[in-house]
Amino acid sequence: MIFTETKRYYVERRVVDRMTVTGTTGFEPYFARLRADMDGEIEQFVNTFTINETYFYREEHQLTCLTSELLADRLKTKPRGQPIRIWSVPCSTGEEPYSIALWLLENWQHVDEHDIEIVGSDIDTDAIASARAGVYGKRALMRLPRPVVDRYFVPTGVDTWQIVSDLRDSVHFTRVNIVDRVETRAHGQFDVIFCRNVLIYFDDLSRRTAAENLFENLYPGGFICLGHTESMSRISPLFDVAWFADAIVYRRPSR
Amino acid sequence: MVNDTPKRVLVIDDASLVRRYYRTALESAGFEVAEALNGLEALEHLLGGHFDLLIVDVNMPQMDGVSFLQTLRAKSLPVGSMPALVISSETAPKRIAAANAAGANFYIVKPLRPEALVEYASLLCGVRHG
Repeated sequence: MIFTETKRYYVERRVVDRMTVTGTTGFEPYFARLRADMDGEIEQFVNTFTINETYFYREEHQLTCLTSELLADRLKTKPRGQPIRIWSVPCSTGEEPYSIALWLLENWQHVDEHDIEIVGSDIDTDAIASARAGVYGKRALMRLPRPVVDRYFVPTGVDTWQIVSDLRDSVHFTRVNIVDRVETRAHGQFDVIFCRNVLIYFDDLSRRTAAENLFENLYPGGFICLGHTESMSRISPLFDVAWFADAIVYRRPSR
Repeated sequence: MVNDTPKRVLVIDDASLVRRYYRTALESAGFEVAEALNGLEALEHLLGGHFDLLIVDVNMPQMDGVSFLQTLRAKSLPVGSMPALVISSETAPKRIAAANAAGANFYIVKPLRPEALVEYASLLCGVRHG
């Protein structure tokens, strides 16, 4: 693997992730741990570069579930004219919230009928800046069908593409720390929250706090989608499990 | 589209996802598409060029679809006579009547499938497609 200067952010974020997961404070103790390959750290470290890199249409089954079940369910009880609100948190460099917008355009036949508000939030302002710019490499686009790339992306250089301005305008990006109640509250309530692969990095207390905050960010009856290795039942008893054909998601009870 | 010069459509809608949805459908059928976020911006576009069709949303900030059509139809030819297709999720008969009275050539209630949009657009532009 070769990382050029433009990938600095990408590398830093993963090193910080590993430091958090292993509970090492500071780079030196972490580097010592890596050198000694303590608890198989080298493999873990490499994995964060190969597995955790995000891309468009990741966990496609949840997007399928969104358009085949979740939105229809929400519309049953939603007052007409009220916008559908979807939150991608953390959104990293924007692949997930833009995937939601693309997916809705391509797969939801009611996309022109409702006001849809997509919000992407992350704690990292560098990631948000990058998300707003919406420029991606080949790897981020690897799962998108070619016609989708042609329709919604403009080539900007050798193997880089920028998502079209209509789509950049359709996602609103903000900074948020999901453990901070005041910050999450300010985002209002959503119909569906995508919160994938972040809770696993928290300690038990923060994880529970984040789950309780996100609960408040859901309309009653609203849904939250986690990463496929995560389970809300182990984190907080507040949510109901909702089984659908394409995905298992969690739900804020209707009352 | 069986035609030499592509027909030009101005999509007037405040929702960027909706503008993109219409643009994708129309461009794949050979139309040229420009976008405006509301009635005011649309009027600015009309100063700068000719369009064969206007696609107009009803509920928009700044200047809504009905006020836009009233302003448009009060203008002299040829601008004042551009065909306008109103597409809205608004189903109240009063609002539909208001849009028609303001000069809508067609009023369609959302959702609209891409193929249906292309059909209406072709019809109003006087072209055959396919």
